[in-house]
Amino acid sequence: MESLGDTLWDVVICGTGLQQSLLALALSRSGKKILHLDPNDFYGGAEAALTLQEATAWVERLDKSGSRSSSVFRSASITKSEDSPALSFSRAYSLALAPQLIHSRSQLLNDLVSSRAYKQVEFLAVGSFFIFQPPSEASEKPTLNRIPSTREDVFLTTSIPAKAKRGLMKFLKFVLDYDVEPKRESWQPYTDMPLSEFLSKEFKMDTQLQTYIITLTLSLDGNLSTKDGLAVIHRHLSSMGVFGPGFAAIYPKWGGISEIAQVSCRAGAVGGAVYMLGTGIESIDTTVADQIQLQLTSGDTVKTRMLVKSSEVAVEESGVSRLIVIIGSPLKMLFEAVVEGQQKPAVAVVALPSGSLTYTAGKTSPFPVYVFAHSSDTGECPVGQSMLYLTTMTTPDAEDVLGKALQSFLDAVGVQPSPDILYQLYYERMAGTVDGQMEGSILSFPAASPSLAFDDLTLGPVREAWKRVLGDAADESAYMTFADREGIADDDDDLYD
Amino acid sequence: MADSANAPKPSSSVKLVLLGEAAVGKSSLVLRFVNNDFQENKEPTIGAAFLTQKCNLPTRTIKFEIWDTAGQERFASLAPMYYRNAQAALVVYDLTKPTSLVKAKHWVAELQRQASPGIVIALVGNKLDLTSDGSGSGGDADSAGDDSGDARKVTTEEAKAYAEEEGLLFFETSAKTGYNVTEVFTAIANAIPETSLKSARGAGASHAASRTEEQRVNLNGPRDPNAKEGCAC
Repeated sequence: MESLGDTLWDVVICGTGLQQSLLALALSRSGKKILHLDPNDFYGGAEAALTLQEATAWVERLDKSGSRSSSVFRSASITKSEDSPALSFSRAYSLALAPQLIHSRSQLLNDLVSSRAYKQVEFLAVGSFFIFQPPSEASEKPTLNRIPSTREDVFLTTSIPAKAKRGLMKFLKFVLDYDVEPKRESWQPYTDMPLSEFLSKEFKMDTQLQTYIITLTLSLDGNLSTKDGLAVIHRHLSSMGVFGPGFAAIYPKWGGISEIAQVSCRAGAVGGAVYMLGTGIESIDTTVADQIQLQLTSGDTVKTRMLVKSSEVAVEESGVSRLIVIIGSPLKMLFEAVVEGQQKPAVAVVALPSGSLTYTAGKTSPFPVYVFAHSSDTGECPVGQSMLYLTTMTTPDAEDVLGKALQSFLDAVGVQPSPDILYQLYYERMAGTVDGQMEGSILSFPAASPSLAFDDLTLGPVREAWKRVLGDAADESAYMTFADREGIADDDDDLYD
Repeated sequence: MADSANAPKPSSSVKLVLLGEAAVGKSSLVLRFVNNDFQENKEPTIGAAFLTQKCNLPTRTIKFEIWDTAGQERFASLAPMYYRNAQAALVVYDLTKPTSLVKAKHWVAELQRQASPGIVIALVGNKLDLTSDGSGSGGDADSAGDDSGDARKVTTEEAKAYAEEEGLLFFETSAKTGYNVTEVFTAIANAIPETSLKSARGAGASHAASRTEEQRVNLNGPRDPNAKEGCAC
């Protein structure tokens, strides 16, 4: 087999985050010579799913690099309960660094289907959205109210007064074709104003209903504009029912986006790309014309025509704080199908609106906290346990806020006796560069968005990079469109000889 | 075929993964098993994602879904998804290359670390046609350029002892002549415990779909193009 240095590669891709991996998938039938590296010894980059051992190593590595770290991650720490016999072995867990929901109408899913990569991923339904209701008196317990997800559901719910229902129904109907005249006229005066104002003025919604709607947007700061808000609510509602009754989004089993990265890289490998984990780029030399020389951390020197990497460098002080928690209870009540014929959901979303938590004397949570609860059906934890992913905007107090949110959430779920908290991983993920670099022979992807739902904007740079690599040979209509590989038979082929 | 008049046998899908050093003949073994074909001087595998092949046992049919490493083993870069739910593994070494057995032992350890606990592992020494006992396979006399006719560097005893110690099935094969190839797959099919078999998707006559099948969202099923919430009534 020829050595790495003898080959003039068409492309070296560095990093196996979602974008780089999707690029490998997009190029998997191009015949290009591709070397795909990752400095980590696991797939997925900032979207990886880690075993407990990998998580420990990841935290140590971030610790060591400290403030010099160019990573988008920081302040990571692990808390384990002292003797936790209930905690299973390391590989029984997948801690998803990017537990994003994927809306049914996302272009990502279209790409996975047309490229046939979806066949190796198991998708699970994202079920109910709940709102945390703080106790009204000190003695009372907090509760979780399920957000009605369909118009039938709105009819049936008892948590909304009849009069308010009318406004909500009117709004749900409005959103379905909100961006078409004449409806556009009604919201355009509010374009850059807060969505809550539009809801209150035009649909007479009270603050409770506004919170319901804003929760569906999964907005991290809870304060999005009317224009952006309507777009994401439209995405949510128009995704409802696409793949089955009662759900609008799905989640890949075994660790979310990480699984899509792995499957895409495998497609790349099947197409002939060479994969090297645990190997990064030490230095880049562009002094020779039309060729880039890369010194790899493995000691190899390789030559390539193009280099694609990501700019995973924190450029802003803003970002999200996340607490990943393993709970010693299945929290069954969160994962019930509410519509007949619905797939059993594996994910539930709980929003704790801004101001709903008091975390130290007199201080209330400045931003919403979102809890994504995953059942063991996600394959991220053993049966009998569940995973919680708590996310809020990073503030100096974010870790305290998330700690309080965890307690309040468990109180509201109301499992008795209170379930054990087996493991906690806290970290902050800073925002990276928004703009990628798509010129010359060194391309870099912008850092992926830390949003809670997968954002189709992530896909644009992948397509752009694909075009740059293929140059004149790029046939836009064939992007991500492949036939099945040999040997993959349809499920319904004859099973008997 | 013969039993078409009878009730069909239960059929189960089994994910089988290949492991072993590059160029030991992993893909060639599968090509022999699936297509009864062999290619001399085969290039490293490109384009083979999986192959499927049925194995008929007296009481049931096993449908192997055979996953190729796609070269990701070269720099130890196989993803967890490769091992996931694998019920069987073929760990291949080259009888004429002792280092490939060392590598095979490494892969067995990796499987014990990464794969499901009940996985059936077969250790396979390939390229038997290059050894003096290779002729037992059907007299492919003009094969090796090696006049001595024996390039064997790993003894049967050594590999067998190791396989017994680790509880692995053990075979020596020739993908080139086909010797023992079907036997490996049949032995694996027989070794897979009935209890760990999932019924193949879509099998009309089989047991009720497992729970995970019910939960799985089908991205390519009939979509409701105008899906919107609620009914209009």
